[in-house]
Amino acid sequence: MTAWVAIVIVSAVTFLLRASFILFADPQRFPHRFRQALTFVAPAVLAAIVAPGLLIADGHFDTTLANPRWIAGAVAIVATILTRSAVAAIAAGMGALWMLQWALARIA
Amino acid sequence: MDVPSPRDEFIAGSREIAPTLLGTIPFGLVTGIASIGSGLTAVQAVALSVLSFSGIAQLITSQLLASASPLPVVVAAAFVVSLRLMMYSAALAPLLAHLDRGWRVLLSYLMTDQSFATTTRRYGEPGDARHRHWHMLGSCATLYVTWQAAVIVGVLAGAQVPTGWSLDFAVVLTFIALLVPAVKTRADLAAAIVAGAVALIAAGLPYRLALVVASIAGIAAGMAIELTHRHRR
Repeated sequence: MTAWVAIVIVSAVTFLLRASFILFADPQRFPHRFRQALTFVAPAVLAAIVAPGLLIADGHFDTTLANPRWIAGAVAIVATILTRSAVAAIAAGMGALWMLQWALARIA
Repeated sequence: MDVPSPRDEFIAGSREIAPTLLGTIPFGLVTGIASIGSGLTAVQAVALSVLSFSGIAQLITSQLLASASPLPVVVAAAFVVSLRLMMYSAALAPLLAHLDRGWRVLLSYLMTDQSFATTTRRYGEPGDARHRHWHMLGSCATLYVTWQAAVIVGVLAGAQVPTGWSLDFAVVLTFIALLVPAVKTRADLAAAIVAGAVALIAAGLPYRLALVVASIAGIAAGMAIELTHRHRR
């Protein structure tokens, strides 16, 4: 029963957060500075998701070769800049990760 | 000048989101498997997915329910991990303000990180924007169907995807593919670098609060560069 109540409330919360400004605010009345700040939402939030995904391994900050994810991520970033293609980014990143994991397994 | 038709926009939006599905599918599978593993029934896991349509909220809800957390804790945690959706909502509101209520309810319900990124990119292009909400719908609908299918397969399969494949990394790569085109100016770059750095420093905070703190710091850095830059001109 608790599970069902939680499912309904959590779903309502995610919807209301998504709808907050789209449905209930008048963008005409947003202050100029606020509108300017909104242009930085995409780069800021996406980077805040990506950075820990590359540089934190097992709960610790790790830029050594034992953590191949940041190297594979760097490869993916370069691939995206060069090709402007999301498929290239994912293919290059996964390819690099698998090669590095294979190489690490051989060394260890 | 030729205005792209709603159909053209829908197809373009669907195509633009397609590469990110390489991250969505494994993430959906893992989310489905994890919801079952944490003790939700199959029907509950699918209901949570269909209604909330948010991988992170689904994972944290099933995880906390499994550890018998009280309801207010579950709801508070889901609220915090979903705060970024409110920032997306603020950024999209001016672009969607001309639409009727039904459209805005539908697009709110379907909005995600990925479709937020494709939609702001599309609206940033020059030209007639009148049918671009169809572009967002194309992105959203494609992602929605794929996500639900992946979760359902995960729920039904229940088995572990071999961890050696590191498929969770595909999700991070998807976000890289969305991040790079979102960085167009020096101020965007500052926002990204500061947000990334703060996310690492604050990584120890509970309930993914680091994401919220880092996002706000990044937005502030972008504003700072923008304002000093204009001051000099």
